[in-house]
Amino acid sequence: MNVQTLPVPYPQACATLEEACADAPRAFAATLRFALSRLGNDSRPSMFCTLQRHQYEHGRLFGRGVEAGGSLLVVEPRKPIEVLWAAEQALRSGAVAGVVAVVDQVTLTQTRRLDLAAREGGASALLLHIREGGLSAARRRWRVGSLPSAPNPFDQRAPGAFRIRAELVRSRAEPLSMWMLEQDGETHRFRLADRLADRGLVENGRPAEAA
Amino acid sequence: MVWSRTAGRPKLPEDVPLALIEKGPHGLRLRALNAAARARGLRRGQAHADARAVLPDLVSAPAEPNWEAQALVRLAHWCERWSPTVAIDPSPDGLEGLFLDVTGVDHLFGGEAGLLEDLRERFGSAGIGTQMAVAPTAGAAWALARWSGGCASRLELEQIREGLASLPIAALRLGEETLRLARLFGLRRIGDLYGMPRTGLARRFRATDGQDLVRRLDQALGLIEEPLVPVRPPVRYRAVESFAEPVIDLAGVEAYLPLLAATLATRLQQDARGASSLRLDGFRSDGAVVGLAVRMTVPTVQAEIWLRLLREKGLERLDLGFGIDVLALSADRTEPTDLVQPPLELEAGSRRDARPLSELVDRLAARLGEHAVTMPVRYESWLPERSERRVPAQRAILGTAMGRPLVRPRPILMFDPPEPIEALAELPDGAPARFTWRRVPRRVARAEGPERLAPEWWQPAHVQRDRTRDYYRVEDEDGVRYWLFREGLYGQDDGKRLPSWWMHGLFP
Repeated sequence: MNVQTLPVPYPQACATLEEACADAPRAFAATLRFALSRLGNDSRPSMFCTLQRHQYEHGRLFGRGVEAGGSLLVVEPRKPIEVLWAAEQALRSGAVAGVVAVVDQVTLTQTRRLDLAAREGGASALLLHIREGGLSAARRRWRVGSLPSAPNPFDQRAPGAFRIRAELVRSRAEPLSMWMLEQDGETHRFRLADRLADRGLVENGRPAEAA
Repeated sequence: MVWSRTAGRPKLPEDVPLALIEKGPHGLRLRALNAAARARGLRRGQAHADARAVLPDLVSAPAEPNWEAQALVRLAHWCERWSPTVAIDPSPDGLEGLFLDVTGVDHLFGGEAGLLEDLRERFGSAGIGTQMAVAPTAGAAWALARWSGGCASRLELEQIREGLASLPIAALRLGEETLRLARLFGLRRIGDLYGMPRTGLARRFRATDGQDLVRRLDQALGLIEEPLVPVRPPVRYRAVESFAEPVIDLAGVEAYLPLLAATLATRLQQDARGASSLRLDGFRSDGAVVGLAVRMTVPTVQAEIWLRLLREKGLERLDLGFGIDVLALSADRTEPTDLVQPPLELEAGSRRDARPLSELVDRLAARLGEHAVTMPVRYESWLPERSERRVPAQRAILGTAMGRPLVRPRPILMFDPPEPIEALAELPDGAPARFTWRRVPRRVARAEGPERLAPEWWQPAHVQRDRTRDYYRVEDEDGVRYWLFREGLYGQDDGKRLPSWWMHGLFP
């Protein structure tokens, strides 16, 4: 982790193909939330694609907890190859704003296909790796972990706004960095809790310069 | 009709007497016989012991009535290659059969004689013996097929009275009691009834079982209508291709499919309708039907979309067996297609258009199955696992039914059913201090709750076995946030079931 002297802006817009991986299996929920919130925010629906059997391991996506604004299409094939097929079909059709696909072990060719399909359909794709993948055509690779939540202003003993740590571990366009993101309780979007994680947090959760 | 499952068993020669037996009130009795057994003097309903005494070398096998009924339905589907309306004749005691409504169909097979010939030939090559008749009414056809002696007979409307006159009264599909009474009166042939006064007949043979004599006579003579209930709703739009030689490989099916689709599309376009579900049926020469069905969210008439969906579904799933000789593409459900004006592109960059989404959903559903492509739809219930339903996307994207949004925090991932955990709380009705989930002990750093959800008392008792739940949002020392609940209350429930802890979801 290199110390940044200037705060690096958080890349809000999602590239055509990005990847995210949880830093520990327990952070899967945080990674999924992060992935869904990075998808484009237009009037088209989003799509979530995962293997049917994953719901026993990780739990099933619960729409009430997502409230992504637009509608969400959930595709649950039986075979890993069908996850990639469904994601590619959806991206190429241009009917969805973005696809979050849970994958395990994809090849460079497969990711290139997804990248091209996403560009063709004007959509963005986020691959959720179960394990850290190898070579890929993704523009950015994130590593996501969960952090203790913000202090709750109304109850010291209760969890406050959810916080996650998003680390950019590979990118073609910008310098690598790390951000602390906080979920807004009402809009369910992430906002920057701390622009410069390296400098630490002040007590009220605002960036160090502003304090 | 003798049914026997020949698969996996050596086929018996024709001249060995065979009987299917079933349990009756007085021991085993014969349910069905083959021709050889009948020729040796056995009859239906005879006790099995008596039959064995008469004929020691009788081969018998247990009857399987359920399988027989299924086989008849499959055969009825296969008969849809001749007529769109095929009904199962529900006559009891082994007199089951099939009714084919051939009105306006026979000219396709070279008239009624040609149709009978074709039927006999195809059934014969599928290994099924038949007795059939073509008549202006279902009742007359039933009587002729079973009682006229020939294996294929025909009757015109003008000849119907004299044609039936010589047949026995049993040919009118009557109940046992009515037949006995008729024998008492000395009424033997249908012709005997023509001269009788109708009021007297109706009074004497008042039906106890709905199979009243006068009504059956009128039905056979065509004086009153007899509705046939088809096994499947007859399709109005269907394109059929029959081959001189059976098609034995998928390339042949693939080659004929565009032709069928184009024919069907033309017919639908003429009526300004679109297909919302399609079925491709291959009629195999051995008396079976293989099929594929696809559904469309928005009714379409574009043949290329149909073909794409059918290929997505997988033509290779069709088991062609020894070849199919008829291929039919039918639009099971059609809807009027209105000309829709696409919305103006108001927002720059937005490509909102219902059509690409519905096409995508159709394609995904064709390949992955309807229930693999879903949308979460809110449902009015406080119980978390019931507050949302996964509706197949083909239905969900057209509907607008949405429940109220919930302001309470809900997890992003849910375990359904909830997973049991072991929890330790400082107070019996307080938040847990530590808990073990999936064999990993976790210490609670922060907790909020309870959110108390009462069971749905309006559900019938056998459905709802739930107890009151107290939900807690809990965060452990690693910053992972869980949604736990305690089922049951201390000191309020019956002492048999202690409250238990469950893991129900994960927050980001």
